[in-house]
Amino acid sequence: MIAEYASRLIQIIPFFLKGLLMTVVVSGISLVLSTALGFILGILRTGRSRLVSRSIGLYVDVMRGTPFVVQIFIVFFILPEWGLQLDALPAAILALTAMTSAFICEVVAGGIRAVPKGQWEAAAASGLNKFQQLKLVILPQAMRTILPPLVGQYVLMIKDSSVVSVIGVTELTRVGWQTVVRIPEGLMVFTLVGVLYFVICYPLIRLSNSLEQRLSQESVRL
Amino acid sequence: MIEFKNVNKWFGKLHVLRDINLEVPAGEVLVICGPSGSGKSTLIRCINRLEKFQKGELYVDGQPLHDHSINLTKLRADIGFVFQQFHLYPHMTALQNVTLAPINVRKMNRDEAEELGRRMLARVGLSDKADAYPAQLSGGQQQRVAIARGLAMSPKIMLFDEPTSALDPEMIGEVLDVMIQLAEEGMTMCVVTHEMGFARQVAHRVIFMDEGQLVETGKPDAFFDNPETERAAQFISKILTH
Ligand SMILES: Nc1ncnc2c1ncn2[C@@H]1O[C@H](COP(=O)(O)OP(=O)(O)O)[C@@H](O)[C@H]1O
Ligand SMILES: [Mg+2]
Repeated sequence: MIAEYASRLIQIIPFFLKGLLMTVVVSGISLVLSTALGFILGILRTGRSRLVSRSIGLYVDVMRGTPFVVQIFIVFFILPEWGLQLDALPAAILALTAMTSAFICEVVAGGIRAVPKGQWEAAAASGLNKFQQLKLVILPQAMRTILPPLVGQYVLMIKDSSVVSVIGVTELTRVGWQTVVRIPEGLMVFTLVGVLYFVICYPLIRLSNSLEQRLSQESVRL
Repeated sequence: MIEFKNVNKWFGKLHVLRDINLEVPAGEVLVICGPSGSGKSTLIRCINRLEKFQKGELYVDGQPLHDHSINLTKLRADIGFVFQQFHLYPHMTALQNVTLAPINVRKMNRDEAEELGRRMLARVGLSDKADAYPAQLSGGQQQRVAIARGLAMSPKIMLFDEPTSALDPEMIGEVLDVMIQLAEEGMTMCVVTHEMGFARQVAHRVIFMDEGQLVETGKPDAFFDNPETERAAQFISKILTH
């Protein structure tokens, strides 16, 4: 009985590792893209242009106020009607990036707003241009506020990436579904799925916690 | 060096600068005093355009600040500004605070800038604090680093907005000493302060502001001993009993 269980496990593990790889690829690409986009949006969100800031605010609210599964359906099934036909993988990456960049935008904007106004003024008064003020003075200080929740967003995104199974991306969760209809050990299958997600998320959770602790200790020293 | 012509500024409906006319020649040490909320900070913040104004003309080092197309970073690079709350960059050492603008605005190379930075720190008596972070320095030391940060840009004008108001009394002297030395070297300075001793010792002129107006101008001793206006007299008696 146990031997049968174990041999079944060994049989299915290669599929799961392939699923895990796809999860890592989808999440990894989306992570890089959404970080870049999120920082740009967050910086513009705190900028002087009201119109730009409000537009980004609306985008963020829409992304945060709608379920991800609806967003991915729109990207995959509705956008083609508007002329943008994407394969499942790029569609998944686009949807994850669009959603996560909205959350990162708010994290970044919050971090920038937390830097005292006097820092902008001191940097401006010394002759630094806007971009230098941001890069050399404001962002390095804002990163202390930004980093822990930023890593937290990555964890949420990796978990949300399980939703892209609905449009046929063969990542970890979809491999779980495909397996469970073929073998009787449903508990084993989804335990394995859960464990594999946990294996990639746990280091990030630890990182987020330790960043939070380290940065708050530093701010006590400052 | 600095010339205000009928400058007016509003914050929304609040009229904070009313028809300011003022000329500050090169080399002058000007002290600005007046009650809280009278517009002193706003006035000197106009000089490096940290504040915009809506009406009138202002020339600084030959540049028309009422013309919104002027090169602001160039203007600011040549003007040092010292804040009441220091505003040192907390993530940088004293030396890095001082060398940031020389490296990034003046495009100095790092070695040159550090040499300059150490000289500036020595000038404010802080040679031994180059590698200290702001949080490891006392208020007086932080303010002296802030002055060194301004001086490192070889400014044509130094502006001070209540540079000693946030300091414990025992640290005021060390900051004033640096400012006195600077004044004696011939720096053009506009200083918002209520430090009468400083004003009497080095200021060429004192101006008194109230409710956004420039109410009175005079030589320091004459102004403090025999103010012409009732409002100035009241103000002086208040800071004396303080
Ligand atoms: N950013 C601002 N927005 C609105 N009102 C301001 C702002 N800064 C200053 N004020 C107002 O302008 C007036 C002059 O302020 P300020 O120049 O700081 O005076 P002082 O430096 O003489 O104390 C005050 O009534 C103050 O409340
Ligand atoms: Mg003030």
